Amino acid sequence: MRTTIVIGAGLSGLMGALALAEAGLRPLVLAKGQGATHWTAGTVDIWGGDERSPREALQEIGALHPHHPYALIGAHAVEEAIVRFRALTEAARYPYVGGLDRNILLPTSAGALRPAALLPVTMAAGDVRLGGTMLIAGFRELRDFYPPFIAANLAAQGMAARGVYLTIPPAFRRREYNPVTFARLFDNPAFCSDIGRQLRAQRGDATRIGLPAVLGLRDPTGVVAHLQDESGAQIFEIPTLPPSVPGMRLFALFQNAIEQAGGRVQIGSEVICGDGRDRLLTTVWSEAAARRQEHRVERALLATGGVAGGGIRTDHMGMVRETALDLPVRAPANRAAWFAPRFLDPQGHAIYTAGVATDAHLRPIGTDGAVVYDNVTVAGALLAGTDTVRERSRSGVSLATGWAAGRILAEWMA
Amino acid sequence: MMIIPEDHIEQSLEASLDHCIKCNICTAACPVSAVTDLFPGPKYVGPQAQRFRHARQPSPDESVDYCSGCRVCNEVCPTGVRIAELNARARARLVAERGIPLRNRLISRSGLVGRLGAGPHAPIANALLGSKPLRMVIERTLGIAREAPLPAFSRYTFRSWFRRRRAPQIDAGTPKRQVVYFHGCSANYYEPWIGKAVVAVLEHNGFEVLLPRQRCCGLPLLSNGDFAAARRAHEENVAFLAPYALRTIPIVGASTSCTLTLKEEAPELLGMQSDTVRAVAQQTYDIFEFLRLLHMRGELRTDFRPIERTLPYHPPCQLRAHRIGRPALDVLELVPGLRLIETHAGCCGIAGTYGLKVEKYRISMDVGAPLFETVRRSGADMALCDSETCRWQISHGAGVVARHPIEILAEAYGLVT
Amino acid sequence: MRTLTTDVLVIGGGATGAGALRDLSLRGIRSALVEKGDLTHGTTGRYHGLLHSGGRYVVKDPQSAEECARENEILRKIMPHCIEETGGLFVVTPADDESYAERFIAACRRTGVWVEEIPVREALRREPLLNPRIQRAFAVRDGAADSFLATHANADDARRHGAQVMTYHRVTRLERVGDRIVGALCEDLRSGETVRIHAGFIINATGAWAGKIAAMAGLRINVVPGKGTMIAMNHRIVNTVVNRCKMPSDGDIIVPIHTVAVLGTTDIPVPDPDVYDITPEEVRLILEEGECLIPGVSRMRALRAWAGVRPLYKDQDAGNDRDIPRTYKLLDHETRDGVSGMVSIVGGKWTTYRLMAEHTVNLVAQRLGVTTPCRTADLTIEPSHDGAAAAPRAPARSQFAILASPFYMLGHRLAEVEADDSYGDLICECELVTRAHLEAAIRSDGTANLDDLRRDTRLGMGPCQGGFCTYRAAAIWHELRDGATHTVGAPPATALLRHFLQERWKGVTPTLWGDQLRQERLDELNYLETLAVDRLPEATLDAIEQPRDVVIEEVV
Repeated sequence: MRTTIVIGAGLSGLMGALALAEAGLRPLVLAKGQGATHWTAGTVDIWGGDERSPREALQEIGALHPHHPYALIGAHAVEEAIVRFRALTEAARYPYVGGLDRNILLPTSAGALRPAALLPVTMAAGDVRLGGTMLIAGFRELRDFYPPFIAANLAAQGMAARGVYLTIPPAFRRREYNPVTFARLFDNPAFCSDIGRQLRAQRGDATRIGLPAVLGLRDPTGVVAHLQDESGAQIFEIPTLPPSVPGMRLFALFQNAIEQAGGRVQIGSEVICGDGRDRLLTTVWSEAAARRQEHRVERALLATGGVAGGGIRTDHMGMVRETALDLPVRAPANRAAWFAPRFLDPQGHAIYTAGVATDAHLRPIGTDGAVVYDNVTVAGALLAGTDTVRERSRSGVSLATGWAAGRILAEWMA
Repeated sequence: MMIIPEDHIEQSLEASLDHCIKCNICTAACPVSAVTDLFPGPKYVGPQAQRFRHARQPSPDESVDYCSGCRVCNEVCPTGVRIAELNARARARLVAERGIPLRNRLISRSGLVGRLGAGPHAPIANALLGSKPLRMVIERTLGIAREAPLPAFSRYTFRSWFRRRRAPQIDAGTPKRQVVYFHGCSANYYEPWIGKAVVAVLEHNGFEVLLPRQRCCGLPLLSNGDFAAARRAHEENVAFLAPYALRTIPIVGASTSCTLTLKEEAPELLGMQSDTVRAVAQQTYDIFEFLRLLHMRGELRTDFRPIERTLPYHPPCQLRAHRIGRPALDVLELVPGLRLIETHAGCCGIAGTYGLKVEKYRISMDVGAPLFETVRRSGADMALCDSETCRWQISHGAGVVARHPIEILAEAYGLVT
Repeated sequence: MRTLTTDVLVIGGGATGAGALRDLSLRGIRSALVEKGDLTHGTTGRYHGLLHSGGRYVVKDPQSAEECARENEILRKIMPHCIEETGGLFVVTPADDESYAERFIAACRRTGVWVEEIPVREALRREPLLNPRIQRAFAVRDGAADSFLATHANADDARRHGAQVMTYHRVTRLERVGDRIVGALCEDLRSGETVRIHAGFIINATGAWAGKIAAMAGLRINVVPGKGTMIAMNHRIVNTVVNRCKMPSDGDIIVPIHTVAVLGTTDIPVPDPDVYDITPEEVRLILEEGECLIPGVSRMRALRAWAGVRPLYKDQDAGNDRDIPRTYKLLDHETRDGVSGMVSIVGGKWTTYRLMAEHTVNLVAQRLGVTTPCRTADLTIEPSHDGAAAAPRAPARSQFAILASPFYMLGHRLAEVEADDSYGDLICECELVTRAHLEAAIRSDGTANLDDLRRDTRLGMGPCQGGFCTYRAAAIWHELRDGATHTVGAPPATALLRHFLQERWKGVTPTLWGDQLRQERLDELNYLETLAVDRLPEATLDAIEQPRDVVIEEVV
């Protein structure tokens, strides 16, 4: 039976599970449902909160925020995670490009410019520095992508950009479309060819064309190459609202790698409580039909996410709880302090810094600083102390702490 | 120390709609809306539509009828919305308002159909159902798709075999361990060899197998919206099984849909909450879930012969809905040489009786296409799957034999069944 | 400066103002209405949506109860499409004084409010989440009213009869010649232009703001703005209006309206109808009181909270504000203050808006020498067809019986989406607002921003609170409205996007925990990580199509 348990199947849980699987521990990933991979842009954001490069930010963070997850694991561990992640994506022929030296600015579906450290190669031609005229092309049927609006905002920032709508060939028309519907259409070469021809006709003086990030689930790099051939321009993807096709690709890629290495990913199994003694977690239970399922635990990695992911839950009395193991939580004292008056306040809302505090080995600690379980590590958005969405470090913290938590756990000796 | 957080206990299925954060993960995963425009997707007809449904007003929507009930949406939902159950109840409302078509009445009564077809006259019934002209007529008059995979009736029922056989001797020295076997309609009328394998494996592990009266679990009735008949079926089954459950004698089944119905579907969808209903639910196990539990306790015999094979394994939707992981993989991992590859191809499309219906047959085949493709590409001449209707569909769609994993386990034990 | 002449100028685009405008126009009196925001922007758009049976006031304020009971029947007849026949219950919970019930029944008899005691078991069957320990239950003819739709319907009917409606026009001065008011100066908040309106007569129908308007003519009206806070729950936890059978007080009613159920209300005097906040204590009080009716309600998902200000009129020094009569008062400034040319209508409730309008216009017509009688109680109001104001329509597919009902039913929109197969066109998926609905609303004249679209269509009012549709609506707005005139800076729709996100944030923060907090964090992921709207360029200020200084601040 599998006794290495990873709780959560977002980026941090998957990265941790990969580390554990590669160490031969045959991890079982238990997750309530699909994770934040399916909600987010699919880039790796190491640090975009200010004008510093990711590398600078990593080097300075220990001095500025000693409790920041990056500071806990150290810049070196972050780099190690990035190296492993890139190798993983290259092996899957869906390589991520970029690095820690500088952020690349990419257009969003609102026409803003968003910093990212690493991005799938399918987004690379969106790099704002490349210059030239940009064509933004989409489909009226896709409710989450509006080329004229995107182009207008890009133009307001000094970029030559134009927005057009393409036509879905009659043979491929549906009644209801979401990003995944389009991804499945782009998996079909006949559809790609038709769209490519439309792009060539609409291209004008544009040297690169931005499309919604729906360019196939099976072989997106192949789709991009196909569209480039047909259109004669560079093609890049722009992430859309959920469901995130780039996120789905990442999930599939991780699941495959974890299973190849002997692990198993089990979606639809929510861990609801655990039990232990002598600072060791011994059992967790997952919710199941008619009765809970018991899992014996030798070591466990907790990566259930924060408020969005479901690892942290709040109530009207101002209680803040960790949902899987009921670990101690560090959170703002009362509800009155949870929110700033402005939704887009640059400082963010205090409640989103709530989470589980850990020692330098990512083991959960209580308010007294004592380790709760020696055989448990914590990773990702569940970690206390910072709002990674405001920092634009969410996916970077998840990958890096997931990897570190997996490595630490793999080396832990009972 | 064990803490049961309050918000893990649902107040009702309907109230679970409040967990929906509109994230579209269910829509992305739904195998039905992926292939047809007739079903807009689980979010639309589930938590979204539910806010517009009124307990005392006519049904405002009917596309919910195209939900196959596969529960993939529940599985992937990160917030715990009981989407499939919301849909099942909405469909039952439609049925209550508009009545049940004769076709659905018929195909949802698998016990009745089985009793009519199985037995010495089975070859005649099978020949008739194998006749293309007759299937055309059935399609036109009843609306059962002529290509849809119907199983062949058995010449003998499992129960008649069980009654006639000589029960094995159990060592006088070992304490008697008993288990109830819930065979369901398929093992009784179509695939008695699966029942025989279950009995052989359990007896090999020292159990006395009990076979109380039982009737169809009622799942086909539930999925066709006939809640009144499903309630009668479950009440009867509870009456038959409760005496054992109350003595904590486990009830095991090898049909994942039957065991899921006893555990959860019937009690929850029908709102049955008595102590006996709960006792039956809590004592019910999928066969491999039960065997895995034995193994965890160190009580499973592991005198396996090696089986040098690599086989595709499809965990059926009904099994995934138990939320117990992949117990067949956990147990069969113990067999030397045997390597099972999980397909990750979602749903086979049949969804019980869904794929039999003429208007849904094409959808069901399109849903299953990725799985058929995966099975075919594996190159194996056999696939494994825990659910009977899925096995029939896989054989039909991929053209390979599909077997229950318990058959492989019995083989590994060297038990001839 | 633009100049305009009319016989009667109505100030205030709430229920009463729009009702008066319709009444005037049906009597053939040339009239115009000015409103500083969008129609229903004030109290009309900020109440719980109860169509009173009168039951709430039978003991305390019998006159108001009688008026409600009569008007209730009239409104059902003249605008069924704005009304849902939910029915109502008065229930005696263990926390309530049992003796009130008998006084309640006797008072219902006296005032003509229809009432029928039903077995507790029957009440629980109708409302399964109701407190099983209730001791008695009385059925009444409460209903739910769509005050947005009704006000638009009144205004549109008035327009059809020649009246003029000017939204985003704020009165800055009343023009007084001696002892007569002869007109008003307005600022067009969108163009900044001043508009002079010569009026034979002015009706001050500004509710809680009536004192502010009267003061412009040197008149004093003692209006006590009574803040009422409400909480919308994510779905219909009840399908019937449920009241506690006791003297009306805080948090003792739940109103099912559209897809939500509204818990309310509080009643707290505020010095200024434009400045108030929602306190955590109020939220806690409403939830605690709600527990008496629906055990567990405080653990269910709350969507948002908001407050409206009641236009309570205080004649002399009444004690508690709850003791101020809920009936209305027509103030004839000629007889009251010796200033002619204007009347003020204050107090009252949504249910009696038509009666208030009738009473007011009777006086005005008399002054103008018009003898045509009031017809608003008899003539049905045609549903509006512009915008998304969802009106019942002929069933496209016969099986959707719901579409044939003249009254609003909860399933209406869903049945329409099903009949049209328009799932693929949903922009606001939570509230089933299609692209066609939205585009029509964007194109309609009065609409100035996304918050107006929300009032017109329910955009952004469902569980995700704009998490997905704000972006979509802003981008569609850009395509339809920003046009080629915009050349410098970010398109105006960008500012509208940010404005709407902030508006929704204000509404959700008082009740943000549990599932709704999770939703907000997902919305943040959408707007910060995926769309990075915080990094969008600023739109040039004068291009922002949002009115200045009429936004009611709800500070948490």
